[in-house]
Amino acid sequence: MDDVRYHGFQARALEASVRDLVRTGALSDGFAEFRIDPRGVVVACAMRSPPEGGDVCCPGPLSPGPALAFGATPLEFLRCAANKGTAVASGRAGGRSWTDLRRGLLACEGPAGGMTQVMAGVAFAFRRRGEARAALVFEDRTAVETGRWHEGMSFATALQVPLVVVLAAAPGVQASALDPVAAAANYGLEAVSLAGEPLVRVHEHVVAARRRAVEGGGPALLDLGPPGVGDDWSAEGFAAQIGGGEPAGPCAARAADAAVQNAVARLAKEPAPRGADALAPVLSDASVLPHWTRGDPAFPGRRPTQGDDDRLAPSGPGTPLSTTTHARLSSASAADPRLRRTASDGR
Amino acid sequence: MAADALPVDVSRPAPAAAGGPQRREPPARPAMPPEQAGRTRSGEPATFLEAVSEALWEEMERDERVFLMGEDIGAYGGAFKVTRGFLDRFGPLRVVDTPIAEGGFTGAAAGAAHMGLRPVVEMQFMDFISPAYDVLTNYVATSLYRGAGPLPLVVRGPVGGGARAGPFHSQNVEMAFFHTPGLKIVYPSTPRDAKGLLKSAIRDDNPVIFEEHKGLYRAPRLRELLPAEDYAIPLGKARVALEGDDVTIVTYGLMVHRCLEAAAALAGEGIRAEVIDLRTLLPMDEDAVVASVQKTSKLLIVHEDTRTGGIAGEIAIRMNERAFEWLDGPILRVAAIDSPVPFAAPLEDYFLPSTDDVAAAGRYLCKY
Repeated sequence: MDDVRYHGFQARALEASVRDLVRTGALSDGFAEFRIDPRGVVVACAMRSPPEGGDVCCPGPLSPGPALAFGATPLEFLRCAANKGTAVASGRAGGRSWTDLRRGLLACEGPAGGMTQVMAGVAFAFRRRGEARAALVFEDRTAVETGRWHEGMSFATALQVPLVVVLAAAPGVQASALDPVAAAANYGLEAVSLAGEPLVRVHEHVVAARRRAVEGGGPALLDLGPPGVGDDWSAEGFAAQIGGGEPAGPCAARAADAAVQNAVARLAKEPAPRGADALAPVLSDASVLPHWTRGDPAFPGRRPTQGDDDRLAPSGPGTPLSTTTHARLSSASAADPRLRRTASDGR
Repeated sequence: MAADALPVDVSRPAPAAAGGPQRREPPARPAMPPEQAGRTRSGEPATFLEAVSEALWEEMERDERVFLMGEDIGAYGGAFKVTRGFLDRFGPLRVVDTPIAEGGFTGAAAGAAHMGLRPVVEMQFMDFISPAYDVLTNYVATSLYRGAGPLPLVVRGPVGGGARAGPFHSQNVEMAFFHTPGLKIVYPSTPRDAKGLLKSAIRDDNPVIFEEHKGLYRAPRLRELLPAEDYAIPLGKARVALEGDDVTIVTYGLMVHRCLEAAAALAGEGIRAEVIDLRTLLPMDEDAVVASVQKTSKLLIVHEDTRTGGIAGEIAIRMNERAFEWLDGPILRVAAIDSPVPFAAPLEDYFLPSTDDVAAAGRYLCKY
């Protein structure tokens, strides 16, 4: 439980720091209502607890709590939230979650319910390879209203994949009139409502659901219900619910707080992405053509002339490049960002 | 004429003009093992469908990560029997019968691809890919760009009209995805290309939409002997299906054969048309088109897809950018009319571009 306590403390410290960063303008107003549901931390810690590890988590609307439990750092979250050039996607994707498969993290992308489909496929891969791993996806409770969620659950059930689906009411989202547990019952799933349950009980249920899923029992659904802890949830209260040795509490809290404060201090020094970073590849073997109007100098489309292909760089102002030459430059620019600003292609 | 040129006709009667392109026969393949019963028999030329099936089979034998997903592809062998016999050989965890939920299992394929598998998703008809549009365009196609890594998955299935199957089983879907950065789109026209391109698509680290015109699947005159050795045809490389120097006809899929028929008719009038088979639409081999236009100075684009927003518009602007000064006439297009695919035979025949349409356009351009 020390691990759970540490991540709970860390989440609480991060939550407070994010609010401060919004006040100072370092983070956008989109984070003004930022909350970390400690239950997400507990669930993720429960998935991480088996010694074999290797589970994959999509933190969904509860990010970054589960991501922290899966080994992400507060700095990584803040980079993503602040769209820093040092973030995983250098500002090309952002918000509250990101992908880092080394740590078993998949970003939540797309509308509610969609990641249940993707994570069902992740779980299928585990089953197909006979691995004792499971996939964990957090969804907002309103996902139950979407066809996407039901298609994901249908696949997961039909294939009996090791998937643990956790529903929680995301802050600011209208509550669904549908009962997720009843919906899951239609799939013959093991579904449990954990609304109002103490954190220790939540932890126990997740451990049991994971074990059952990994042993071939198929997917499980856990409904956390509406937020069970208010804005003023305290690290001490969290620790009291989790239990454990008293001496470890203050130490863990101090360590977690130090990590967050260090991240906040570091964030201010990190650069924003450059505009040309938008030229990152969308295919693994092709580069993106830049605006021809931003060449040096700009020139409209023209046909290549003899010798164009022999020039790998402009010899001076007004020297256009052929498309073939541009292709070479673009290829080179993928490796050397400095070339991106000089490549022009005649388009 | 290109050495690997095609037979000029497919499911329609051969044109009267003799001397059409001849097919080069590659060496016969070795005998198939008994467990592959129902697939191409030893020594027999393969149909387009059999070529697709062979590509899947061989890739699954070659790479344990490759697996198939789709509706009724297991015990039933697929709506067109592309995967007949696969379940017995590879088992239910590599030939996965899915619920009837294209969005759901395409999303699941993305998840499996994240974990290092190489899913090949079959759409029973490509018309049904629309429920998966969300996950393909918003999630799969953006994966690499937003730092989630490449997603190697193939979505393949039958497309195209002429089967009297109406608006929901006859569409061409390429342009629904053409506008999405992060996808590749392949649309082969021959058995040899189908097999070689599908192998490349499966081996590619990027998501690939692979369209198979159902009018080509069992066309008897398309049968050809496939290379005995393992081969793959690179994506993004067009093919000169017929050499000529009077007019360039750029096309793909079943329309390649309509264009070759038209070219044969034009040849009788002294017009030498060059037919470019794009093979891959994304990324497009525009260098091949430029090279041909530099030779002919006339460009006609033919596609079975509907006219407005069809690929002809994109090719035309690219040639405007790159080959304008070589053009001696307007860039023209022949395409299906802007309507849903009609059901009744007379309506569908009117809807689809015909050999005569292509020939008329080529004739017009050469007189321009």
